[in-house]
Amino acid sequence: MELNDEMMERAVQRVVAALKGEQGASYRIHPSDELLELGSYAAARMMLAHLRNRFLINKFAVAEAKRASSLMRSESEGNLKRLGEELGITPQEFEGRLALPVYQYASFSPRSVDYRLIFRNVKNGFVEVNKHEVIRLMEEAVKGRMENYKPLQNPPQIIRDYSKKLMVLVPKETVLKMSFKEGDNPPCIEKLLEGAKAHQNLNHQARLVLAIYLLARNVPVEKVQAIFSNLPDYEERKTKYQLDHIIKRGYSMPSCATLLSYGLCVADCRIGTPLRWKGKVGPWKKGKGSSS
Amino acid sequence: MEERERQFVLKGFSGYYRRATVEVPSVEQREFGIGGFDRKIEARHMAFESNAALQNYLIHDTPLYISHSVAYYKFPKATPMENKGWMGGDLIFDLDVHGGLFLSKEEQEKVRQDAIRLVEDFLLLDFGVKKEQVKTVFSGNRGYHIHVRDPSYRMLEGDARREISDYISGKGLDYRSFFNQNEKWKLYGPKESDWGYRGRFYRMAAKILEENPAAIHRRLLKPEEAALLKEGMRTGLWSKTSIKDIVDRMEVVAKMLPVQCIEVDTGVTIDTKRLIRVPNTLHGSTGLAAKEIPSLDEFEPYRDAIAFGQGQTKIEALQDIPAQEFLNSTMEKMENGKSKEVPLAYAMYLILKGAARLS
Repeated sequence: MELNDEMMERAVQRVVAALKGEQGASYRIHPSDELLELGSYAAARMMLAHLRNRFLINKFAVAEAKRASSLMRSESEGNLKRLGEELGITPQEFEGRLALPVYQYASFSPRSVDYRLIFRNVKNGFVEVNKHEVIRLMEEAVKGRMENYKPLQNPPQIIRDYSKKLMVLVPKETVLKMSFKEGDNPPCIEKLLEGAKAHQNLNHQARLVLAIYLLARNVPVEKVQAIFSNLPDYEERKTKYQLDHIIKRGYSMPSCATLLSYGLCVADCRIGTPLRWKGKVGPWKKGKGSSS
Repeated sequence: MEERERQFVLKGFSGYYRRATVEVPSVEQREFGIGGFDRKIEARHMAFESNAALQNYLIHDTPLYISHSVAYYKFPKATPMENKGWMGGDLIFDLDVHGGLFLSKEEQEKVRQDAIRLVEDFLLLDFGVKKEQVKTVFSGNRGYHIHVRDPSYRMLEGDARREISDYISGKGLDYRSFFNQNEKWKLYGPKESDWGYRGRFYRMAAKILEENPAAIHRRLLKPEEAALLKEGMRTGLWSKTSIKDIVDRMEVVAKMLPVQCIEVDTGVTIDTKRLIRVPNTLHGSTGLAAKEIPSLDEFEPYRDAIAFGQGQTKIEALQDIPAQEFLNSTMEKMENGKSKEVPLAYAMYLILKGAARLS
C-alpha cells in the first residue's frame, strides 16, 4: 500500500481530532473507505513515531483506544475473540464463569480501585470478569500498544512533509512548571506528577488525590489546571468544573490508607496522610540493591 | 574484619564451592552481581556463558555474595540497563524477619509458616502456578526467597507485579469494598461461591456465625435471625437480615482478614531488574547456604543450611553471645573477650556477624 495525499490529510485529521478530544467515527465504514481508513491510521502512527512527541502520542492513544472500544461493543463474539487473541486477552470459562488468566488481568486492568486484584474473585490462576470489563481491558491493551512506538528511522518524504504540517496545527504544548523542589512531595504525589508530566492518563482517583493535594498545598487553581492539561484526555471545561467542585465542597485529603486501597501508595512513609510529608521515607524502608 | 579473618572466610567459601553444585537456569541470559566485605553488591553487569564457568568463578575468585538478575536479557553484560534487552523475569517474593543477631524459634517458625502459606494458599491455589514452577530458597540469613518461573508471569511489568504483591500482602484490603447497595436498598456482599479474599471473608463470617453469633450481634442468638443471615450470606444478598448495620458489624470478621495475608517485600517483587541471591551459594553475612528447599515442612536453617562440615575453630567473642541452637545442639553462651573452640560453621557464622574473631 502506498501512502498518498488523501491518506495523509485524513491522518492529520485523525491526530487533530484526538487532540480536540474527539473520538472520530465509531460507526462501521463503507468497504470502499477501508483502504483510506487503514492507510491514514498507519500514516498517523508513522508521523507520531517520526515526531516522537509524547504528548501527541498519548493523546492519540487515548482517542484511538476509546474509538476502538466503542466499536468493540457492537462487534460479534467471534470478532471480539479474534481481536482479544491479537491483543493477548483471552477470556475463557472457568467453573462456569467468564474469567481471565491472572497475568492477563494484571497486565491490562485499568489502575482504578474497581479493578484492584485484591477485591476480585481470584482462583486457580483466573480472575472472574464480565463482558464489559473484558472490553475495558482490551481498550487498555489498545492504548498500551498505541503508546509504544519505536522511533522511525528514515521515514518517507511524504511523512516528513505532513509531520511538519501537523505540528503547525498542534497547539503549543503546555509545559508543566512546578515550584516544588525534589523531595517536597511524598513519593505517591511525585509519581502522579511524573505521570502528568509524561502525559500519562491518570485514573479518576489519581486525579482527585492529586488535585486535592495541590490545592491543599496552596497551588493556585490555574496552575493545577495547567498540570492537568498535560493529561491525554484533558478537557478544559470539565477540569475547571471539577476543580471548582473540590474547592466548593472542601474535599479533605484522603488518608494514606485510602491511597493504599486505590493502589496509589508507592512507599512505606508512615505519615498517615500525604500532607504530613516531612521530606524523606523513614529508615525502616531503605532501597536495597539486592535482597538479603 | 581483619585480614586473617578475611582469608579464613574466603578459604572456607572457596572450599564450599569446590564441593557444592551451583546451577542457574538460563544462566547465559542472566546478569550477575557480586559483593564483598564492604557491600553486598560491589559490581554488577557480569555474565557467565555456562554454569561451569559460574562454578569456576566461585571457586577461584570467591565473592562473599553473588546474585543473579530475576530478569532474562539478550545482552546481560551490556550497560546501561536499557541496552540489555529485557526478555522478562521470574516473579520473586522476599520474606524476611527483622530481629536480633539470632532468630528465635518463634521467628523462624513464623517466617517458615508464611512461606508455606504463600506457596500453597496464594501461588498454587489463587494464582494457579504449578508446583514444579515454584522454587523455595532459604535466603541464607533471615527468610526465604520464592522464585516463580512460570512463563505466563514472566513478561509482567512492575505495576502488574505490584498488584500481585499487594494481593498477597493484603495492602489496601478494605472489607467494605466487598459490599455494595443498589438503588432498591438491596445489599450485596461476599457469598459462598466467591473466590479470593471475598471467599475467605465469607468463610470466616460463616464460621463466626456458626460458633459465636453474638460476636456479630446479640440478635443472632435467635435461630431464625441467624438462619436469615446465613441464607443471605450464602447467596450474597446480605439485606435479607434485619440487622441494618450488618456491614459495620462485620468489622469483627474484617479484623481477622489480615491474619491470612503475608508480608512480602513489595520493592523486591515489583523490581524487574532486581538481583537476587543465587540459590545454593553462601550468604556473606552468615556463611549459611541459600539452599533451594524441596520441602519446607521440616526445614530448620541453623541445621539444614549449614555449609561447613567437621572441625573445630578457636574464636574469641567480641560481644556477649547468647546460647543458641545451632547444628542440632545448643551452643553455650560466650562472654565478651572469652575464647573457646566451636564448630567451624558456627565460628564462620559469628565471625561474619562481627560477633567474634579467630583466637
